[in-house]
Amino acid sequence: MNDRTCAAAVHAVDGTAIIKLTGEVDGSAAAVLTSAYQQAAADGSAQTVVLDFARVDYINSTGIALIVSVLAQARAQRRKVVASGLSEHYREIFDITRLSDFIEVFGDLDTALQMQGH
Amino acid sequence: MTSVAHPAGRRLASFTVASEPGNERVARARVAEAVAGLGLTAARLDRLKTAVAEATMNAIEHGNRNQPEIPVDVEVTQDGADIIVAITDRGGEHEPAGPAADPDLDLKLAGAQPPRGWGLFLIRNMVDAMQVSTDGPRHTIQLTIRAGAGAPEPDLPGGGQ
Repeated sequence: MNDRTCAAAVHAVDGTAIIKLTGEVDGSAAAVLTSAYQQAAADGSAQTVVLDFARVDYINSTGIALIVSVLAQARAQRRKVVASGLSEHYREIFDITRLSDFIEVFGDLDTALQMQGH
Repeated sequence: MTSVAHPAGRRLASFTVASEPGNERVARARVAEAVAGLGLTAARLDRLKTAVAEATMNAIEHGNRNQPEIPVDVEVTQDGADIIVAITDRGGEHEPAGPAADPDLDLKLAGAQPPRGWGLFLIRNMVDAMQVSTDGPRHTIQLTIRAGAGAPEPDLPGGGQ
């Protein structure tokens, strides 16, 4: 494992699951992201999943596809997905891909949680 | 097949990377190094780096089919305000061969399109111009981004690009 490897830490706060990602979100992140979402969804009370990208420094097109997959699963389970900590560049990519039409983007995790009522 | 004129101008860098997954990061870093100080804003440098990484990944995976012994050539030139990056694989004519239909997020979320397929779309939206050419086995994607004051901001979807 090196500092580029994607890792995820999952926490739950009163109906909100937080997935803190670190490293690079690319094809090698598939198992990590899938497992993290499953862990987040295992808490049936989680109505919102926050993807925190504050410690992510690279997202490629395969990573975008993984985020699309997580979003599709969440929507099928009637969960909201929000994002925090994206750099300006990846915020732009969320706009270009229209992910931001489906995933509300907040500047940082604290703001994202406040806006979920925490 | 179309051909793209070899870029005129000053050569800033010319190198190869082996066709191994992950080497797009090497190309991205070396191109960023080559264009440092040429007046690209931080935002436009980020866009160029993303386009270079995606184009190199395509060359490695789709062009050279992850065969490490087959190189991907990267050439960076400057022509006036234009910074031009040419990325060449040995896969001959292959996808992406030119503008394809944009990915549709609604269809992807509905399961009617696979989640993947964002690479070429990202490249097109990151740079000011993209050209693809094939010369025998050599398949080149040429990316152009303008540096300095007055460089246009890439359009968002619906902006006519």
